[in-house]
Amino acid sequence: MTTATQFEHQQTKILANREPKSGALLLLESIAAQGVDTIFGYPGGAIMPVYDVLPKVGSLRHILCRHEQGCGMAAIGYARATGKTGTAFATSGPGATNLVTAIADAYLDSVPVVFVTGQVTSDLMGTDAFQEVDIFGITLPIVKHSYIARDPADIPGMVAEAYFIAAEGRPGPVLIDLPKDVANALTTERHKWRPYPKVKPEMGQSDYISKAEDLIKDSKKPLFYIGGGIAQGDGVKELRDLVNRTQIPVVSTLKGLGSLPTDHPQFLGMLGMHGLKAANYAVQECDLLIVAGARFDDRATGKLDTFAPNAKVIHMDIDIAEINKLRKTDVFLDGSLKKNLEALNPGEAKCEDWRRLCFSRREEYEWDYKSPIGNMKTGGVYAPKLLHDLSRRVEGSAIITCDVGQHQMWVAQHCYFDNPKDHITSGGLGTMGFGLPAGLGAKLGAPNRTVITVSGDGSIMMNIQELATLFRYDIPLKIVLLDNSALGMVRQWQEVFFEKNYSEVNLDDNPDFAMVAKAFQIEAFTITKGDEVDDGIERLLSATGPILMHVKIDTYENVWPLVPPGRSNADMMER
Amino acid sequence: MVELQRNKTFEPSGVQGKLKIVLHDVSGTLIRALGTIERRGYDYRDVHCTQRVDGDFDLLVHIEDTGGPSNLDTLCKQLERLYNVVSAEKVGRRKHAERA
Repeated sequence: MTTATQFEHQQTKILANREPKSGALLLLESIAAQGVDTIFGYPGGAIMPVYDVLPKVGSLRHILCRHEQGCGMAAIGYARATGKTGTAFATSGPGATNLVTAIADAYLDSVPVVFVTGQVTSDLMGTDAFQEVDIFGITLPIVKHSYIARDPADIPGMVAEAYFIAAEGRPGPVLIDLPKDVANALTTERHKWRPYPKVKPEMGQSDYISKAEDLIKDSKKPLFYIGGGIAQGDGVKELRDLVNRTQIPVVSTLKGLGSLPTDHPQFLGMLGMHGLKAANYAVQECDLLIVAGARFDDRATGKLDTFAPNAKVIHMDIDIAEINKLRKTDVFLDGSLKKNLEALNPGEAKCEDWRRLCFSRREEYEWDYKSPIGNMKTGGVYAPKLLHDLSRRVEGSAIITCDVGQHQMWVAQHCYFDNPKDHITSGGLGTMGFGLPAGLGAKLGAPNRTVITVSGDGSIMMNIQELATLFRYDIPLKIVLLDNSALGMVRQWQEVFFEKNYSEVNLDDNPDFAMVAKAFQIEAFTITKGDEVDDGIERLLSATGPILMHVKIDTYENVWPLVPPGRSNADMMER
Repeated sequence: MVELQRNKTFEPSGVQGKLKIVLHDVSGTLIRALGTIERRGYDYRDVHCTQRVDGDFDLLVHIEDTGGPSNLDTLCKQLERLYNVVSAEKVGRRKHAERA
């Protein structure tokens, strides 16, 4: 992230350069000056001036996705895999509205992405012109900040601030809407841009740190509840050190997975709606919840007033607006999560009985992959075991992106992670269609890593056009498509909560996905039996180019445990 | 079949408050602040906006919650999170001053 000093330095450089340049060229040069090397975009009428000068800025690699939503999600995947700010372009009107889901996804998951949209010329704005929408207004609730560029001389400073804001503090999406006349206009002027004044404190006040330490020392049943903020705040090492120092058990949200290795001795698993029993029971019984980079999301807490009912709360978050938003906090540590985790040093917690209870439960409820389960009994493929086996084969060395639905929860439950940035999933918005474009973005951002996209037959159809992007750029993404011929999670809910009244969830007329992939010139194959899994994984992992493994699984397999919506996490349903 | 707990139908709890928000004079800031208040579960009863000598704006809003969980302190923090919002604070009721 650009520091305030670097930001000021950039401003000085911007003001010094007075060559006549168009708004479009100033935009691209300013983006390149931020260290951006990759843009995911799709051209169209209003953004044509930008594409016209794109070849002049040689340091920028443009990836032409096949839908603006794909561009946005690829930029998110790139940002999450690299830790850098992603960039996506689209034209005005439908191009811009197609970005909206990606913008919302970045907002809900706090991902730094700068979105640039073309706009009709300034004199036509507000006249319902061709391909005009008020994308600034449409996206107000789902951006961290946004701009309409009114003067080309503003653009260098605006771009610098946009990238600064996107990455600073709690990251998020920033939108720049660029009218076509502003993109075309030549200027020798450069306007100084006000520096961002709201720099967050580095660390909570020391008296609050000591209050937090006192609470931990007094606790008999302390528990860490960690979330996506650990990765966003670069606090993985500090968290691991603190957990090792205190020996306190840990539960994680979906987005916190990997902050501790899945097999870490203190790790109890994911909590919440599809959380592990050992984790949910620990939350219900703890007397102190140490929340780090998590926000009491309803999927994690279940019925909020029954969540950790006997616990005091220490809440560490860079976003002070999260304090007391949903749960009253006893001690709040704002500022840098990394610094707060480092500063907190209460010594080893004196809670041996509690630890013993937590870890005995973890053993009791551990997944059993050896006994035949589900359709393994009839020779079929049991998706959780396949994911477990695949994950163990790559031994935490791969990035896994997911779509949304049953397969997403199976990945969270059954795959091994030892780095939270290796698990790229749409946690907040729950966006079907996320996995494939996020996977290609992640692979472009981390070309030396193995990147696997796990998708479902419902989700993949929402952005299947991005197979063409894989082929065009020869991106060696590995896709595992778990096909249960249904919208599986909705079907499961209809089975469990709606008396098996299956309504509009049957997808047994799916296309042959292997043939579809081949039509996009992507290597693909199908497996249907349990004894084909090992060879399938081998072929998937040894492929040098993009590849899709289509896996037929049981339509009626469910994700367990399941906490019914609006119920306490203690009310887990099982198979 | 598992019986689902029905969501509560929220009735306005009648929580009212006045907020004083200081805004930079930058396009979009006013609508961003007002939109945040509405999206976070409050209705307006009164809105006043005046420009200060330093060019910033004072926005004084009288609001009432629409029935969701309301917490004006959290709302102030959510407003202060917005760029170009300088500050947001609850305005307490002034005591009536008797004339001698």
